[in-house]
Amino acid sequence: MQIFLQLVASGVAVGMIYAAIAFGYQLTFATSKTLNFGQGEALMLGALFGLTLVPFTGYWLMLPLVLVFGFALGAVVERLGVRPAVKIKSEYGWIMATIALGIIFKNVAENIWGRDDLKFPSPLPEEAITFGGVRVLPMELMIVAGALLMMLAVELFNRRSIWGKAVVATSNDIDAAGLMGINTQKVITLSYSISAMTAAFAGVLVAPVTLTGATMGSVLALKAFAVAIIGGLESGLGVIVGGLILGVAETLTGFYISTGYKDVPGLILLLAVLAVRPVGLFGKAVIKKV
Amino acid sequence: MRSSLTALAAALACATAFAAPALAADPIKIGVTGPYTGGSSSMGVSMRDGVRLAAEEINKNGGVLGRQLQLVERDDEGKNEVGAQVAQELVNKEKVVATLGFINTGVALAAQRFYQEAEIPVINNVATGTIITNQFNPPDYDNNYVFRTSAYDVLQAGMMADEAIAQGYKKIAILADSTNYGQLGREDLEKYLKAKGVKPVAVEKFNIKDVDMTAQLLKSQAAGADVILAYGIGPELAQIANGMAKLGWKVPMITSWPASMQSFIDIAGTNGNGVIMPQTFIEDKTLPKRKSFLDGYYATFKVNKIPTPVAGAQGYDSVYLLAAAIKQAGSTSGPKVRAALEDLNSKVEGVVTTYDKPFTPKDHNAISRNMVVFGKVQDGKIVYAKDEDAKNAGVVRVKEKASN
Repeated sequence: MQIFLQLVASGVAVGMIYAAIAFGYQLTFATSKTLNFGQGEALMLGALFGLTLVPFTGYWLMLPLVLVFGFALGAVVERLGVRPAVKIKSEYGWIMATIALGIIFKNVAENIWGRDDLKFPSPLPEEAITFGGVRVLPMELMIVAGALLMMLAVELFNRRSIWGKAVVATSNDIDAAGLMGINTQKVITLSYSISAMTAAFAGVLVAPVTLTGATMGSVLALKAFAVAIIGGLESGLGVIVGGLILGVAETLTGFYISTGYKDVPGLILLLAVLAVRPVGLFGKAVIKKV
Repeated sequence: MRSSLTALAAALACATAFAAPALAADPIKIGVTGPYTGGSSSMGVSMRDGVRLAAEEINKNGGVLGRQLQLVERDDEGKNEVGAQVAQELVNKEKVVATLGFINTGVALAAQRFYQEAEIPVINNVATGTIITNQFNPPDYDNNYVFRTSAYDVLQAGMMADEAIAQGYKKIAILADSTNYGQLGREDLEKYLKAKGVKPVAVEKFNIKDVDMTAQLLKSQAAGADVILAYGIGPELAQIANGMAKLGWKVPMITSWPASMQSFIDIAGTNGNGVIMPQTFIEDKTLPKRKSFLDGYYATFKVNKIPTPVAGAQGYDSVYLLAAAIKQAGSTSGPKVRAALEDLNSKVEGVVTTYDKPFTPKDHNAISRNMVVFGKVQDGKIVYAKDEDAKNAGVVRVKEKASN
């Protein structure tokens, strides 16, 4: 039983890492029906940027600076990669454009920060704490709490602020929102900025536990994408549930079936969700008029 | 149409006419292939810089056969398919005389057949998969063009297993990554343990970039393991060390050589202290050759530590071995250089050892087990794990008859 709980605890921590990244996919998809496939690279740049700042500012003061950095980064991605494709009504141009930007970011990062995985200093003690025999790193608790807080903050922003309401309006019906005088272009840029900001924040959040380096984003972003699909690209709650399902499924399979098949059930689940409920577990089915 | 054809022919004639007299002083082109980006790049870059250093020294002293060595460096990104592309480019387009490199076992296996087919010698200076030098063994092939200056996996697996058994551990858990490197190493480990009559209590797998090792470690713990033999590269080995600390489970960890990578030392931090691994080279200045190599490396590349010392040292030595072979062959033709490598008359003083007949037609591995020592991670550095090795640091460990 204790082993089971330990596995679940570790799975939850990993799952929240996925969920924090997946959240960013959902933000941009809601407003513009596009995704930033460089989300992993935004995470990586956030973490490496934070790593550079830490010696000067300490961990806590570094956080707001990374948020600003992520915000700017998202705007750049939207302007360079997504807007031209959306403007010419290219259905899929943004896919290649965001992937291309991601690759460029990765290469730039390799040139600036080197190619090695680096150690991110942990702001909390690195000794595990014990809850009834289950050992958890303080940093893992912070990942869970930080990711939830971040999502809560974005939700509040969407519900309370005028800009947030514009985001919600745009995501509901972009044409109607435009007719009502909302500058939907700006709203889409904003959603990309918030999306990259959450990714950069997730980067500095997970970096003390994962590896930090130019390639850290690739695998995490892929898993997070699966999480976004499982949970539903339309739902904030969905990514949390999807993340937890995938994370816990991985650790449990690793222990009870085989560590060689650790990644399999998550992906089977992905296929199952796509087959049975293509909009994701928490997605809303909408009728698309053509 | 006709006139353009004539012009083309004329241009071609001119080009060949100008190229021919330049041949005599042409540099000797040597391919250098390894991952200079990505997860195993600290090994690749250390190897490349070791190669650069040696080539520069040789060129300063007049080159080989009166010709300068020219390095043609390519990044294979540690990816098998890119490695195969690089090999074809170096063989067909760059027309290299020989190639040094391969960090990743998978890349070596995917790429070296192009050299074999073109009869161009390859010296593997880092990749350790046992099969690498046996891929083109006679009688299936007339001659084998693949050589190696690293401690291959059978040696390392044997050392790791013997050390665990010698220290009195009975229940061994094996953790290996899912790449060619990890899985071939795991096979060697299991085979060796079987021969010793030991059955590991757990054999687990992990992927590159895995961030959580809880499942693997809990399984080993539940199986009652009292020692971990881990086969992987720096970052993931560090995650294992960190994962053990998180679970509060402390058993000794013996790994394959890449725990000497800087990334392991950085990421594992104090959790990495005491981890031991086989090494052909420890960063010490006991011999004049080692001192000049280290001083040269630090000064040239402006560092105070080689990212992966073993890769740097083996890369450096591979250039001198190749240069000696070209000199002895008196030619850059592949078959002649291969024949010279298999029967080197002169002793070659390197950093790892002084090579005295390192290769024979039957044995293409320059390193034997007696030349490999255990290194230990201690406060950010790799030191000798055993007192007697530290005492004998200045003694050159020469090759004895290998078992491979």
